[in-house]
Amino acid sequence: MELAAALTATQMGGTFSVEGILGQGMHFKGGGFRTLLTVLTAMVWFLVTVFSKEYFAQSKHRSRYLLFSLMIEGATMGVFLAADFFTMFLFFEGMSLASVVLVIQEETKAAVRAAQTYLAVAVLGGLVTLMGIFLLYQKTGTLEMDAVGAVIAQSPERSGYYGIGGLLFFGFAAKAGLVPLHVWLPNVYTEAPAPASALLSCVLSKTGVFGAMVLTAKVFAQDAVWGSLMLTFGILTMLWGGILAVFSVNLKRTLACSSMSQVGFLMVGIGMQGLLGEENAWAVAGTILHFWNHSLWKLMLFLAAGVIYLQVRDLDLNRIKGFGREKPLLKITFLMAVLGISGIPLWNGYISKTLLHESMVEYIHLLEMAGQRAWHMRVAEGLFLLAGGLTLAYMTKIFVAVFVDQGNSCLPAAKTGVYLRPGNQMVFAGCGIFLLILGMLPHQTQERLAAIGMDFFGTQMPEHTIAYATWANVKGAVISIWLGAAIYLCFVRMVLMRTDENGETVYLDRWPKWLNLEESVYRPLLLSVLPFIGAFFARVAATLTDGCLALLRMFLFNSDNAKVIPPEDQYFSIYTDGETDKTVYREGFARSLLLIGLGITVAMLYLLF
Amino acid sequence: MNKDAVLLAAVVFPLLAGIVIGLQRQERLRNILVLAALLAELGMVGYLCIGEHTLTVWQMTPRLSLAYHTDAISKLFAGMICVIWLLAGIYSFAYMKREEHPERFFLFCVMTLGALVSLSFASNMLTLYLSYEYMTLLTLPLVIHSRTKEAVRAGVKYLGYSMFGAGLGLLGFFFLDTYCTTTAFVPGGSLNPQLLAGNEALLLVVYFLMMLGFGCKAGMFPLHGWLPTAHPVAPSPASAVLSGVITKGGVLAIIRVTFYLVGADLIRGTWVQMSLLLLAIVTIFMGSMLAYQEKLLKRRLAYSTISQVSYALFGLFLLHPIGFLGALLQVVSHAVAKNILFLSAGVMIAQTKETSVFGYRGTAKAIPAVMWAFCLGALSLIGIPPFAGFISKWYLAEGGLSPAFGTLGVVGVAVFMLSALLTAGYLLPIVLDAFFPGTQEDTEEREKTASVRWMTLPLILLAAGAVLLGIAPGGWIDWVAQIGEGIFER
Repeated sequence: MELAAALTATQMGGTFSVEGILGQGMHFKGGGFRTLLTVLTAMVWFLVTVFSKEYFAQSKHRSRYLLFSLMIEGATMGVFLAADFFTMFLFFEGMSLASVVLVIQEETKAAVRAAQTYLAVAVLGGLVTLMGIFLLYQKTGTLEMDAVGAVIAQSPERSGYYGIGGLLFFGFAAKAGLVPLHVWLPNVYTEAPAPASALLSCVLSKTGVFGAMVLTAKVFAQDAVWGSLMLTFGILTMLWGGILAVFSVNLKRTLACSSMSQVGFLMVGIGMQGLLGEENAWAVAGTILHFWNHSLWKLMLFLAAGVIYLQVRDLDLNRIKGFGREKPLLKITFLMAVLGISGIPLWNGYISKTLLHESMVEYIHLLEMAGQRAWHMRVAEGLFLLAGGLTLAYMTKIFVAVFVDQGNSCLPAAKTGVYLRPGNQMVFAGCGIFLLILGMLPHQTQERLAAIGMDFFGTQMPEHTIAYATWANVKGAVISIWLGAAIYLCFVRMVLMRTDENGETVYLDRWPKWLNLEESVYRPLLLSVLPFIGAFFARVAATLTDGCLALLRMFLFNSDNAKVIPPEDQYFSIYTDGETDKTVYREGFARSLLLIGLGITVAMLYLLF
Repeated sequence: MNKDAVLLAAVVFPLLAGIVIGLQRQERLRNILVLAALLAELGMVGYLCIGEHTLTVWQMTPRLSLAYHTDAISKLFAGMICVIWLLAGIYSFAYMKREEHPERFFLFCVMTLGALVSLSFASNMLTLYLSYEYMTLLTLPLVIHSRTKEAVRAGVKYLGYSMFGAGLGLLGFFFLDTYCTTTAFVPGGSLNPQLLAGNEALLLVVYFLMMLGFGCKAGMFPLHGWLPTAHPVAPSPASAVLSGVITKGGVLAIIRVTFYLVGADLIRGTWVQMSLLLLAIVTIFMGSMLAYQEKLLKRRLAYSTISQVSYALFGLFLLHPIGFLGALLQVVSHAVAKNILFLSAGVMIAQTKETSVFGYRGTAKAIPAVMWAFCLGALSLIGIPPFAGFISKWYLAEGGLSPAFGTLGVVGVAVFMLSALLTAGYLLPIVLDAFFPGTQEDTEEREKTASVRWMTLPLILLAAGAVLLGIAPGGWIDWVAQIGEGIFER
């Protein structure tokens, strides 16, 4: 239903406004890239909802999950279709808050804690973005996405806008999970139920990326400074996510960190769009395709994690080891996603990663043509390939653990018969075949997909096509694969795995505890240090008046003077029937007398003056 | 008798009705009387809100008189007050069952409404001042209702602060009486240019002191001290109206003095405006920060009031049409949101017998509608779209960022954001706890201890208001914006 609505509504490519809502009116726009996104959203939601029927079969709060899931779908559509920042912010905020319910679904202690962090980051990000929107509106007088860029392009002084852009970007970066705002991500994805993790990873985090795309394509179109900022965030996130994923010993945490890393790839593409200026067509295509592909892989991987969780009720690699040895459908589809996400030639990830890589190579080429030094871009390219290698390493790690390693004695043996119901078999098989088609026929499928979205970024598909099978293009992938194999064999197998006395392999959690940014930096800083400082000043200000009064009373009404009040007046303000403490009222009464006295004194002073 | 005599009736009727109600010991009859009185008052105010009415009750001297007039501002305030009073009244029927001496509560509750209507419709400074004092005195019994030591102490503090503040206001009126052409409220102010010449500096000081004085009722730093003491000790419906409505009495007085007596032109761009803006910013931050650190629910809400009312004051002191619009919207949205929060806090406390913010784990199982209302009220207060609070804050920020204020405006808006973050920090954990107690918590044994049906109805209506004012404000914003235009065009 929603899928159909999305298809019909957005392929018209029209614009739509609801005036008067919230005093500003909401403005929507469809077509092009937005169509791609809404179709993707509707498709992912449909598949996930089919799957969640089984996942939540025995859950207590299933209707709550479905209700909020639908609300979030609507809000996400709103974000993708918004024509101005105001509308986008409305839906973004609604989506962020409603998704807290999905995260907290299981209501375990860890889930509640993860949801608290998620909520805090969502509110903080939303407010910073709102501040950016205020400033943008004040400076440009419009929030229309298409109009803002034109205003900025005409203004002679650009530097002021970078600050505003940074504020706007903050909220989107928090949602996308970019370093250093990623702290919430691994815990949230791990603690949320698998369908919710799939939605978070496939669609919700993409709204943050979409925000960055809007900023890059519409506000700071073809701006090299902005582009290099995005590129920096991209590289940091890509590597850090990859490293976290390699160290993880929990299937879902690996997938979560992998999401982070893949979003980093997207940010690299977005950065390259800015850096390449007019020549950014391949960067745009790569970003769009990676956006799509990542959603497809993560959909399958998270749902597979859900299947495993339903059987074993655990996702620790040591406990689910060997789960999938006898389950060919799951194994094959999982393998498809692994090969895709690792960028192996013939699968779809190869195409999008090659396009991103190609754009970097092109930029280096351009810089060298212009006689500029390109070493920093060479480093970036190297890191890009390294991140590709990390992807392969951690994907191999989980694949080997789940599908190749010898089974664990803890596994429930009897349940292997029906681990997937027919509906879910369709979901997995369909996705797997789709991935394969996308990878095998890039020109017919992927490039056409990309061409639909190009317009949004202000470019067109270039005339010449890329021959994906040439050595020049395969070389990047081969380097990545070698790096990945080396990391897996030399680091993962040597350092992160051990064979115990029974000859079973054990996965070790070697991640240093102090490197947990959330626990060691953010929580103490935001929950203890800053509130303490703030509260100190607030407390000083708050007690200023009362303190002055107390001081004055010490001077004016010392214990002798207090007796000045006639005894019968002690009952002036007694309202209690029960036990009375007369000193209290005397003090209170004295205070009010003092205040009135003060008022009269001030009045006298000014009359004299 | 002409139709304008309704004005006098609207002021006097609640006072008389209050006395009758106070004498009534039988609960059922009393409740019916209260409901009838509140509805009748709403009807009268509704009638007054259509068209313009003017009435001079008593001409004391040629310059001084007791007079009422209905203009747009007074309609806004009187209408808001009556609606909220009615809802808080309905809530109190069930709530006051477990308090002692409900008849005394209702006596002063209904009488205060008369004072507030009188304050709203006052058309000159004498009437305003008298109603203002009379509002303070009539609300005092609400504060000390429980008659505990703590409550009486808080009541005396409330009285002291309010009297001092009103004293500063009265002092200012003496000066303004000399320098203004008339004591009546004229949009844009009525300062006499000849008398004013050379005395601007003096008048600015006087104006500043008046703002501090009236700011006391609105909880503005430095005279905010009574608020966190007085609000938590009162019964919940009383704290709700004290926080949501009575503080707005101070806001109304500030509007009247600033825009109808002194005039914005004298103040614009002076040190007075800058220091008042600064005071408002300090108050916003201070209130939110202390609320964040506070562990008692009702005191947390009281600190939150300090912060939220100063949002409106910030908007007023901008002396800018958009800021003014934002301030008026904030007055209404805060009144709605804070009433929701205090009223639902009353149910929550009655339900769990807990006053600390950590005591409401899993409460949503027992009283879902109340917790949903609390949730919506909290979201509106933070300023999350699409609720009413978001719109008012949007306009306040837009006003604050208008080029005239430069850095101070930007700092103000940044503090708005910080304060909103803190607001989320002190309200949302309560909501999360209530809805998601965690798996290990056993919530089955908790049952409804209070008969919450009649307490839930007003909450639902208020929550609906918070949502509707946000999603479909329609002509409402235009109407409020016109008020500002009327003042700033002159």
